[in-house]
Amino acid sequence: MLKFFPYILKSLWRHRARTLLTVSGTAVALLVFCFIGSVQRGLLALTTSEDAGRTLIVFQENRFCPQSSRLPQDYQHTIAKMAGVRDVVPIKVFTNNCRASLDSIVFQGIEPKKIQAWRDFELRSGDFTSFASQDDAALVGIDVATRRGLSVGEKFTIGDVTVLVQGVFQSKLAPENNLILTQLEFLQRARGANDVGTVTQLEVHLTESADPEKLAEQIDQEFKTGPVATTTRTKGMFQADTLADLAELIGFVHWLGYACVALVLSLVATTTVMAVQDRIKEHAVLQTLGLRPLRIFSLVLTESLLLSTIGGILGVAGSALLLSSSGMSVAAEGVTIAFEPSIVLAAQGIAVAIVVGILAGIAPGWQASRTEIVPALRHA
Amino acid sequence: MSLVNVTNVTKEFANGEETIRPLDGVSLSIDEGDFISLMGASGSGKSTLLNLIAGIDQVTSGQIEVAGTDITKLSRGKLADWRARHIGYIFQTHNLIPVLTAYENVELPLLLLPMSAAERRKRVEIALEAVDLTSRASHYPRQMSGGQEQRVGIARAIVANPTVVVADEPTGSLDDETTEQILHLLERVNNELGMTLLLVTHEADVGARAKRQIRLEHSHLFEQGKEIKTAQLRMA
Repeated sequence: MLKFFPYILKSLWRHRARTLLTVSGTAVALLVFCFIGSVQRGLLALTTSEDAGRTLIVFQENRFCPQSSRLPQDYQHTIAKMAGVRDVVPIKVFTNNCRASLDSIVFQGIEPKKIQAWRDFELRSGDFTSFASQDDAALVGIDVATRRGLSVGEKFTIGDVTVLVQGVFQSKLAPENNLILTQLEFLQRARGANDVGTVTQLEVHLTESADPEKLAEQIDQEFKTGPVATTTRTKGMFQADTLADLAELIGFVHWLGYACVALVLSLVATTTVMAVQDRIKEHAVLQTLGLRPLRIFSLVLTESLLLSTIGGILGVAGSALLLSSSGMSVAAEGVTIAFEPSIVLAAQGIAVAIVVGILAGIAPGWQASRTEIVPALRHA
Repeated sequence: MSLVNVTNVTKEFANGEETIRPLDGVSLSIDEGDFISLMGASGSGKSTLLNLIAGIDQVTSGQIEVAGTDITKLSRGKLADWRARHIGYIFQTHNLIPVLTAYENVELPLLLLPMSAAERRKRVEIALEAVDLTSRASHYPRQMSGGQEQRVGIARAIVANPTVVVADEPTGSLDDETTEQILHLLERVNNELGMTLLLVTHEADVGARAKRQIRLEHSHLFEQGKEIKTAQLRMA
């Protein structure tokens, strides 16, 4: 079969405009497919990561937007005393947009010592000491920094909150790269407010043996009659509830992914059918020279496979480039879904392209291989 | 024993409700080294007989044996393998693969045979030299004249050293001068390379160049004015 590879390539090049259009159409469809895949994976990562099940988020009861949840900060001491609790991190959240947005900026105000204890990231520039020693300092997630073009030493303002960038960090958890971390008290006092003593949420880290559900129930029971009632869920459940509307939309959008696959199938199949119909006589000549019907079938199938796979590789590479360079994300109510490229997604995209290429080539390949030689030789 | 034995072959086509029978129990034997022209009016069935001997069409009844193989019994796949080894086909309209150079077109039948790249190269060079087109090896069909294309077609037909070379109206689309060149080339293929040649033509002067001239009339074969019947088959 390899001996016929130059013939296959030259046949594709013969109608280069058609070939290039098919390859580019396939590339765009696979780019969209991978993009949708990355959104789904981002959502999945939020709800299934390791800490999603072992960390609790305490929020004000019947509140959804971070701006409206106001918990007494001293709840942390009560919770910290409960059996099974390792630590409690009070967090003040500020976001420039509570609704779903592609450029939502989420600030989290956390005490520096808690950041050091519970946030696993690497500083790509700046230093932590400068951040810890300055009230209005901020550590900016790398995706926000990329998207907004921020670097160490710059001041920027979003929604009346002005901070000085003292570091740009990269976390292994993709959603964290879309956060801006400030000191807790700074965010409590930001925008002329005096919210010292109140926080948006409490992040409760558990011991290995603790039962998250029982502890969540215990916390809510504890504050049921307190000044502010709470709703406590695992981090994964909290994020899933917060993003419920968005998750539904993303669930719907995955049909678009299937539509992209169908599009590639029809595009490659159409091109291959046209190529076969153009070459009815040529295939008859090849059969006359002694090519077996099965070999004719293989030639057509390889052409289809090449079209689809080249388009697939370009689409997957394009999506990886786009996703890694743009730092795109979507956020709602302070929770961010990061669009990240991944090897698994790339492999999936290429596998889809290969399977679609084979499927698209079967019918035209069969048609070419079953051609009756003599009538086909009379074909104009 | 003859190289090709066509025995009592009938070929029928359905044309709507009508059945057309271009060959009705024809028999013919071809010896090794023969150069036969098969003549007849348009639509007389001469190309049909050539296609049956070349193994690209199926008989309705009868038997065709080439070099000891009954090709009417072979499956499509095996028949393709058989054609690769035993048949060199020269088309009227050249039918070169347009995306391949003259060299690649001639090399094509050799890709199907077990052969080293060096052996392939050697054979292609010899075939192109035989048709005097070495200097055009890297040219594409669109860059060649009709006569040159036909010479490439002849080189492609002989390169694998087939048992039989069949030519279907090889000069049908050529001018007189080029026709003469092609006929001279076919004579050399027969005389110098010793290849068995079956040529279909409707032109009497072209047919006259063959060693044996056979006419197909009213579904029957005639040689030197006499009908060829099974009992009259020439034996080697």
